[in-house]
Amino acid sequence: MPARRAERTARLLAVLLVLGLPLGLLLARLISDRSSPVVEIHARMPHDGGFLPGEIQAVAGEPLRLRLVSDDVLHGFAVGQTDFPEIDLYPGQTVETTLVFDQPGRYTYVCTRWCGPDHWRMRGVIDVRPAAGETALPPAADPPLYLELGLDLDAPHPARVTPASRPAAVTGIELPGRYRSQDYLRAASPAQVWEALRSDPVTHGMDDEQVWGLVAGLWQESTTPQRLEQGRELYARSCAACHGETGTGDGVFASQHARDAERSDHAGAVEGHASPGGAVDGHAIEAPADFTDPENMLGAAPALLHGKIVRGGMGTGMPYWGTVFSDDQIWMLVEYLWTFQFDLEEGK
Amino acid sequence: MNLPLQSVSPERRRKFAGLVVLAIVALAVLALPLPLPSAPPADRHFHLQASSFAYQPAVLHVNRGDRVTIEIEAQDVVHGLYLDGYDLQVTAEPGRTAALSFTADRSGSFRFRCPVTCGPLHPFMIGQLKVGPNTLLWKGLALAALAALAGVWSLRR
Amino acid sequence: MTKLDLLRFPLIKTLLRSRWPQFLVRLLALAGFVLAVLAGLLGTPVGSRSFAIVFVWILCWALLMLAAVPLFGRGWCSVCPIPMPGEWAQQGALLGPLQTMTARWRLGRPWPRRLRGIWMQNAAFVLVALFSARVLTTPLVSALVLGAFLLVALVTSLIFERRAFCRYLCPVGGFIGLYSQLAPLELRVRNTAVCASHREKTCYNGSLEGPYAGYGCPWGAFPGGLVRNTSCGLCMECLRTCPHDNIALNLRLPGADLEQRRGRGLDEAYKGLIMLGSALAYSAVMLGPWGALKAAAFAVGSLPWLGYALGFLTLVLGVLPGLFLLAAAAGQRLAGRPLDRRSLKQAFAQNAVALVPLGLAAWAAFSLAFAASSLTYIPVALSDPFGWGWDLFGGAGVGWTPLMSGAVPPLQVIVLAGGILWAARSAVDVQGGRAALPVIGFCLLAGAGLLWLLVG
Repeated sequence: MPARRAERTARLLAVLLVLGLPLGLLLARLISDRSSPVVEIHARMPHDGGFLPGEIQAVAGEPLRLRLVSDDVLHGFAVGQTDFPEIDLYPGQTVETTLVFDQPGRYTYVCTRWCGPDHWRMRGVIDVRPAAGETALPPAADPPLYLELGLDLDAPHPARVTPASRPAAVTGIELPGRYRSQDYLRAASPAQVWEALRSDPVTHGMDDEQVWGLVAGLWQESTTPQRLEQGRELYARSCAACHGETGTGDGVFASQHARDAERSDHAGAVEGHASPGGAVDGHAIEAPADFTDPENMLGAAPALLHGKIVRGGMGTGMPYWGTVFSDDQIWMLVEYLWTFQFDLEEGK
Repeated sequence: MNLPLQSVSPERRRKFAGLVVLAIVALAVLALPLPLPSAPPADRHFHLQASSFAYQPAVLHVNRGDRVTIEIEAQDVVHGLYLDGYDLQVTAEPGRTAALSFTADRSGSFRFRCPVTCGPLHPFMIGQLKVGPNTLLWKGLALAALAALAGVWSLRR
Repeated sequence: MTKLDLLRFPLIKTLLRSRWPQFLVRLLALAGFVLAVLAGLLGTPVGSRSFAIVFVWILCWALLMLAAVPLFGRGWCSVCPIPMPGEWAQQGALLGPLQTMTARWRLGRPWPRRLRGIWMQNAAFVLVALFSARVLTTPLVSALVLGAFLLVALVTSLIFERRAFCRYLCPVGGFIGLYSQLAPLELRVRNTAVCASHREKTCYNGSLEGPYAGYGCPWGAFPGGLVRNTSCGLCMECLRTCPHDNIALNLRLPGADLEQRRGRGLDEAYKGLIMLGSALAYSAVMLGPWGALKAAAFAVGSLPWLGYALGFLTLVLGVLPGLFLLAAAAGQRLAGRPLDRRSLKQAFAQNAVALVPLGLAAWAAFSLAFAASSLTYIPVALSDPFGWGWDLFGGAGVGWTPLMSGAVPPLQVIVLAGGILWAARSAVDVQGGRAALPVIGFCLLAGAGLLWLLVG
């Protein structure tokens, strides 16, 4: 081939390969994005931005195409109070998913794999507008039980009596029906139920520890081993990192919170109790609650615990889960928390 | 086809034979097991704290035959442990301490690494499990000394 | 001397004389290089999923240390894409000298005499090594470094003549040249008498004449005088310009260059020590269990990093050369040779020949470890270079699995032992029995350190 023609061919190839190849690849991506719009969400550790973007718009009934990728460590993606499957986001591995929301409303998406002490802050919002032509708003959710009962979530709740040893659930004893009603058991703390049972003639002849056994038995019967197993799973995934795998408030991130408490200006903060009104800058953080402390736990009604999980915001680092877990999920979690106080039969 | 190749001299052939002998001796040194006394197998528990990008403690010592349980407590993000040579793996998330149980039937020094990408230095998040005396290291040192001697001897006039 | 001239095979000769095969391979390499830079700039910041990290520092590096250099010497240099844009700008052509060769915007100066040798390459390698914990793990940093290579090569080609970047600046080229002495491949002339009677020396000066059109040796070497591989980049330009068919590409016994005493300077000796020290440091930082050391190496700009950098520099520029000097001096003493400054300098430089096989063995052993544990990243990076969710070749779903983790330590032992054997042999060959003993002791010490770090 004559030198000039060879040179021209060589130059053409050079441009094609060196410029064309990368440009072609980038163009391919742009075009595929243009043809069907996709929302790209980057997951980063919270101090680097968390979910980017943190707010997404969607329309009820229309598919929302998401492209998710983690930019640093293992994250996860789930939309609270929906049935959409949880997605693990391994670093650098892009995952595409399409969500369709039936009901308009504000949905919270969360990170589901611990990515640092501020992992629980890693949330975003999907604002789902009603479909064109529809104006119906979704039915309002029932208010949480603690509001109906008028419980003060921030007040201390010490138990007036506590058992000498950890009670094992005793079932099979005939008790008046009112003790078994869900409304009653959810609204009363174990200490209150113990006092009611103690003064009831049906426990005449039993000693105090046996009455505690009855209380534990009532708590056992208000749940099932399968629910306890699900509660255990929820606890392990969402709570253990701060509250500890043994529930003693010594999780891997607990020391972080305690350190912040030492540094904070609110010297009145007492471990395990709320410091009402003390959080001027929102950082009066204390150590996470110890679920194995009978005085603290047995004076709390399940509805109180349910409320704390729903609302958070006690001036501590406890997040709110109301928009993330379904109501039933929170009840299962509460039912599981009693296993730190009572010996209950759990599913495997 | 005429190749400008000179014939191999007898001296070269002798040298080649020497090399073959050397290779055989070297392989023998490497492959033959050393009859070392071993302690009775015991149960060993280790609790590792895994954070980006190190294990604490990072070096574990056991005897051959020990029944080893390693617990990994992740301190910041999802970590885990993959054990070289044994090909065992486990993932640990903050709040869920993971455990790996096995019998240390292979002696030597084995690296364990983090199997879940946990940040930039992830490929270098490494610890070591030392099972019994590190026979490979001793053999390697012996082989190195042998190699040096062989190198010197091979040019003897 | 048993040698086989590959150019006696017509097919090989045609393939190498023609510019097209080399050009196409280099072009592909350049495309890969550009892709790597783009992946680092625009793609995922996760190193293990980025083409920038996996392709360059895992695939290419492993191939280089385990295959390309031991087998082909400077064979990589003949297809390296880094100097290509610079060469195009300098030569005004992609494929070969055109009938009109103009030097409008190119200065074409000779490389300054004082900067010759591989000292600059030593410095460049040490500089990159100080930041390697970042460069090897962060795609953006990697892309910037690679882009810098390209830019420096381009600018160098516009100012200086020939492939000055490759010969005097490229940090990779520094050790490729050193270790190319071990390769079983060499480019030499068939008959030096033919060169002596050839007036034009077109192999060095270039030629525009018809079938022998070509550039004068881009590496600034005179092919007729080549006795070692270190400065020959196997670019085949001399094969194209020689009108007397006097160029030979020989298959030979590995390490034949080590017997050459000529041209061994302090710069190469230091390179050998720097490479050995780096192998020790990299083994400690990347394969060791010491988290504080890794954190210090990574936190560029911080006080711990400063401590790490000082420690590294002290090791490769102070401790190892100091020990080696002692060994060289002891050797002189044992052999009853003079200990004056000039003789010591010569002994230092000549003894450094032992560091060549030892260093390559050290790097091969080190590379085996990280290659085996990172190999499964390669199909992923090829299928999804930017981490955007592509799957070009079906490999994007391959999970991370360290390969042959049990087989690597014995392999490392064998490789290191082989390196020590060769080092001992070369030391004795060059210096004689007694004089070589302390240096062999030094090699054993370094080898023991490497064994302990890699296998201990």
